Amino acid sequence: MTTVVSAAEEFVPPSAPDFWQPLVGDGAFAITRTMVVMVLVTIGLAVVMMAATRRLSVVPGRGQFRLEGVYGLVRNSIGRDIIGSAHFRPYLPLLFTLFTLILVNNLMGIIPPVQFPTMSRIGFPLALALGVYVVYLVAGVRRRGLGGFLKNLVPSGLPWWVVPVVFVLELVTFLITRPVTLTLRLFGNMFAGHILLLLFALGGEYFLLHGEGLLRVISLPAFFMFFLFTAFEILIAFLQAYVFILLASIYIAEVYADDH
Amino acid sequence: MEGNLAIIGYGLSAIGPGVGIGLIFAAYVSGVARQPETRNVLQTIAILGFVLCEQLAIFGIALAFVFS
Amino acid sequence: MGTIDTAAGVLAAESGEGGFWETAYPVIPHPGELIVGIISFAVLYFLYKRFVVPRLEAMLAERQQTIEGGIERAEAMQAEAKAALEQYRSQLAEARNEAAQIRDAARAEGQQIIEELRAQAQEESARIVARGEEQIAAARQQVVNELRGQIGALAVDLAGRVVGESLADDARRQGTVDRFLDQLDGMSAADGRGGVPVPEGNR
Repeated sequence: MTTVVSAAEEFVPPSAPDFWQPLVGDGAFAITRTMVVMVLVTIGLAVVMMAATRRLSVVPGRGQFRLEGVYGLVRNSIGRDIIGSAHFRPYLPLLFTLFTLILVNNLMGIIPPVQFPTMSRIGFPLALALGVYVVYLVAGVRRRGLGGFLKNLVPSGLPWWVVPVVFVLELVTFLITRPVTLTLRLFGNMFAGHILLLLFALGGEYFLLHGEGLLRVISLPAFFMFFLFTAFEILIAFLQAYVFILLASIYIAEVYADDH
Repeated sequence: MEGNLAIIGYGLSAIGPGVGIGLIFAAYVSGVARQPETRNVLQTIAILGFVLCEQLAIFGIALAFVFS
Repeated sequence: MGTIDTAAGVLAAESGEGGFWETAYPVIPHPGELIVGIISFAVLYFLYKRFVVPRLEAMLAERQQTIEGGIERAEAMQAEAKAALEQYRSQLAEARNEAAQIRDAARAEGQQIIEELRAQAQEESARIVARGEEQIAAARQQVVNELRGQIGALAVDLAGRVVGESLADDARRQGTVDRFLDQLDGMSAADGRGGVPVPEGNR
């Protein structure tokens, strides 16, 4: 690519270091851009939610109707349908927190003043996944006791020599695979999506500024793809928030499933 | 032209999930076409399958960066 | 690299060039970000658990109750309407019943009146018939008595003329005549109701 463009500078594709954006300091506890976004989103969500639920009426207004739409999605189609109508109520705050926090943070990857997805730094998805991890482990141990919880990992009716293998596999699934996949999925989607957006934006800009003659025209499809993928990112933002709480509620529902 | 072998690895790891996701949504579409009233149930299941499939590609991209 | 960074809108402070966190694998979590994430999540979770979700749940419960209350009210109204209809129907049936009773009574009364009238008329007619028969019987008796005397005299007269001798002994003569007439009577009775009307068989 760089050979056909006789520009002074080479095109550098976006890569992982682009996501390291410290604002203050530089180290393990530096204040980074994503931290600020996360804190602002949290404060914004808290303020909006507290204000929106201050005066709820039985007959909803327009704002309340939207809030209820989001809450109904989390409550009915995820919480009630998957965890089951008997046990879903204690988990509603968790699911609703996760959904709103992830959704707004993901949308921050597209909204102009920020345009940097918080969840593309793995620390944040890991924090959320740890929350889910703690909740479903605690719920499982609380429901069956530690022994019952461990015993319940292995489905009954297996030949005795399979039991240890299955036990180890299930334990690894429970303790390692689930939180790791939960984290990596959210992180990977936002990270890859942002890299893709960066690639189109930077490529288009490079052709426009450093290209010669007709090569400048190539920037048009690049920018078009940028818009297209920005729209696609909205879908991804919503889907990832949905999927995160879907999986969280499936893990929680397993605690209440009577047979394995 | 420079490159990284890890990215080729990611490309390979994306083939399987690509096929899998295609199969999942093909089944979802035909299922909904056959019985439109089961759409809500199928939607959840399809997204779940999509996610479990996509997981592999995400592993691929994560590991690509680990070994780059 | 500098232009690319600025083009990406990077606000990075270019202090530690090539620091560990810049070149670190993106899958290694940055401790500060992890802590901030956990704290933000915990704070938001606490707020939701304490305020947002209970408020929403309370509102939903209230709505549910309102809807159920509305249904209950409608049901009560329906029951009331049903009761009214039932009452109306029973009243109607009662009235109908009463009318039928009145009609039946009237019919019975009419029947009775007719019956009475008929009985009266029958009685009347029976009386008239009886009186006629009595008269007839009396007239017959009278005729029979008259005829008995005349026939006796005529027969004796005739027999005297035929035989040519007067039958002196009145008493014996009377006995002969009576015997004859009795015989005649018996003959006519055995003969079966000849020209003379018989009083018992009145109709």
